[in-house]
Amino acid sequence: MHDADIKACEEVIKMATVAESKWEIKVPDKPLKDKVYFENLKSVVIDTEICSRCLTCASVCPGGITVVGDKVDFPDYETKCLDCGACVRVCPRFVYEPLSGMGPSTAFIAGRSKRFAGQDGAMVTELIVSAMEMGIIDRGLFAGRNENWETEMFHVRDPEQLAITTLSGTKYTFADVLPELKKAVKFTKNGVGVVGTPCIVSGVRKLQQEYPIFREKIKLVVGLFCTENFHYSAISQYLRDKGVDFSKLVKTDITMGKFIATMTDNEVKFKVKALEEILPSGCNVCCDFTAVEADVSVGSVGSVPGFSTISVREPIAQKILDYIKKQGYAEFGEGDPGQLGFLVGHKKKRAENLKK
Amino acid sequence: MKKVTVQDQGVVEKAKCHAAAIGVAMKESVYPLTATVQYPRQRKKMPDNFRGYILFDPDKCINCWECAFVCPANAIRMKEAPNKKYYPTIDYGKCIFCHFCIDSCTDGALRTTKIHDVAYKDMDEMVTLTEEMIEPPEIVREDTKLVEYLIDDKDLQMKKTREVDNLFVDEVPPSVEIPVVSQCIDGASCIGCHVCEYVCGSGAISSSIANGVMNMAIDTDMCTGCGLCVKECTMQILKLVRK
Ligand SMILES: Cc1cc2nc3c(=O)[nH]c(=O)nc-3n(C[C@H](O)[C@H](O)[C@H](O)COP(=O)(O)OP(=O)(O)OC[C@H]3O[C@@H](n4cnc5c(N)ncnc54)[C@H](O)[C@@H]3O)c2cc1C
Ligand code: SF4
Ligand code: SF4
Ligand code: SF4
Ligand code: SF4
Ligand code: SF4
Repeated sequence: MHDADIKACEEVIKMATVAESKWEIKVPDKPLKDKVYFENLKSVVIDTEICSRCLTCASVCPGGITVVGDKVDFPDYETKCLDCGACVRVCPRFVYEPLSGMGPSTAFIAGRSKRFAGQDGAMVTELIVSAMEMGIIDRGLFAGRNENWETEMFHVRDPEQLAITTLSGTKYTFADVLPELKKAVKFTKNGVGVVGTPCIVSGVRKLQQEYPIFREKIKLVVGLFCTENFHYSAISQYLRDKGVDFSKLVKTDITMGKFIATMTDNEVKFKVKALEEILPSGCNVCCDFTAVEADVSVGSVGSVPGFSTISVREPIAQKILDYIKKQGYAEFGEGDPGQLGFLVGHKKKRAENLKK
Repeated sequence: MKKVTVQDQGVVEKAKCHAAAIGVAMKESVYPLTATVQYPRQRKKMPDNFRGYILFDPDKCINCWECAFVCPANAIRMKEAPNKKYYPTIDYGKCIFCHFCIDSCTDGALRTTKIHDVAYKDMDEMVTLTEEMIEPPEIVREDTKLVEYLIDDKDLQMKKTREVDNLFVDEVPPSVEIPVVSQCIDGASCIGCHVCEYVCGSGAISSSIANGVMNMAIDTDMCTGCGLCVKECTMQILKLVRK
């Protein structure tokens, strides 16, 4: 027999030994006792406007939590909610204790990939692809986009897929990362790598905390620095009003307090502060700038232009960075944590909005 | 290089072999018997478990979709029938006749025939709808003889009988039954949605809540091993295991 066959057999035997015909599930508390869990989630998180739209709830809901307009909703919950409580178990904001600050960090560096082009130094892409090469994961989830700049999720299983250049780079609209992560967990053999804003990272951690299946299968969590994100309808309308032609748009970026939309023939620039009127209510109560719960966090601020700032938190991320260094896939430099001070402080202050 | 030496068989043995060869040559010249079946005038006798055209019995189908899932060629598509149930359709342009679908069908709704000669005008016609799978397809029968190969340790012979074979297998040859039951392989990842309980037609799965804990149980005596719950489980944590 081939080694692979033997391994497969062992796997089957292992599975057979853990199989059980009786098991227990913890039933979460209900603040509104006589209502189904979705109504509890709705009254605690959605109606209070603290929902981050991370879609952790939608990723586990067997009934049908989705996004309606800009809001997370479950239109026919009265007949379709199975009242299982999974949504409130995983929602990072059902019992919301906002995280903030720089978080733990074992190394704070700057990097630029020599292989890929990205938003800054393409180190997010480099980390995922290198983890794939090392065999740590067999797929990475990327938020790509269509020609109207609506986000679309992609399972990258081969670096060649990155020939689709729209997979890297920042999209300032929400992406349905977590519902796709559930699918990835179902299909993966080795493990999954996932990239997301701090709210998505918190959702991933919640899923892992509650259900072993996510602990086992999600091997790499890359966080992105994030001040805010936007609802597609709002930001696209805003940009159109500012004269942005989506068919010519190649890059969107926020640097030095300015939103810059680069088109093939033109550039539209304005102060980010102007976007406050369309700031999603969930972001308005979010205090986490650096994705403190991620294995590694990557951002733009904290390094020279063209480089990504990398805050290493877990050994797995260091191992991948060592591999990147050894292979000569990227050049590295110093990161300056001091530069993050302003944005970290700015987001910490949003805890006050929570009280309102 | 090594020289290969042929063992000397002796004069008597050599003479015997020559005589046998001359005998066969003479027999062939008088009564030629080729190894080829003269299809379509003759038809080869196929074993009862021959992997041929597939028939379907909707009354036996439990709508588990197992056939569509197992098909390695992606030839099976489930289509909604007027009774709101989903039944298989087979694209014979894709089917590789592995009959995994038949093997996977728990209730014998799919069964084989010895038909291997259906002709189509185009690819579209090869997509066989459920209703076309219930009755056998129309084929032209020109055969008058049934050919059987008889193989013994010395020779291969063809036995031809004036007979028209029945291409339908009424009694499916018994296969080795491996009793399986559904089991949970990761109880801690269960979200307690009861989907498994709702889909189980044998009432083998039960749940109860006590002291803030939900208890789930599969009754292995009641479970028929149909696999519906395994397919539907929200977290994909149920597996069929040997009883
Ligand atoms: C909404 C948002 C706000 C941000 N705000 C800041 C900020 O204020 N300050 C700062 O320094 N950095 C911010 N960043 C991070 C920064 O824009 C870059 O993403 C980061 O520096 C990584 O660059 P890179 O070249 O290494 O990544 P790349 O190699 O270009 O990879 C980018 C990765 O981000 C993923 N991605 C893109 N858009 C989204 C999205 N909407 N949701 C989930 N994943 C996505 C892509 O799938 C890809 O994997 C923000 C990112 C986002 C998505
Ligand atoms: S079905 Fe379960 S996860 Fe979905 S809304 Fe209802 S209680 Fe929440
Ligand atoms: S914060 Fe996330 S998990 Fe909670 S309700 Fe909103 S989208 Fe769902
Ligand atoms: S600010 Fe960023 S991390 Fe916080 S809720 Fe909004 S998108 Fe998520
Ligand atoms: S496999 Fe057993 S428990 Fe599952 S649906 Fe079928 S009979 Fe019920
Ligand atoms: S379908 Fe799966 S997740 Fe839902 S209760 Fe049954 S075993 Fe648990």
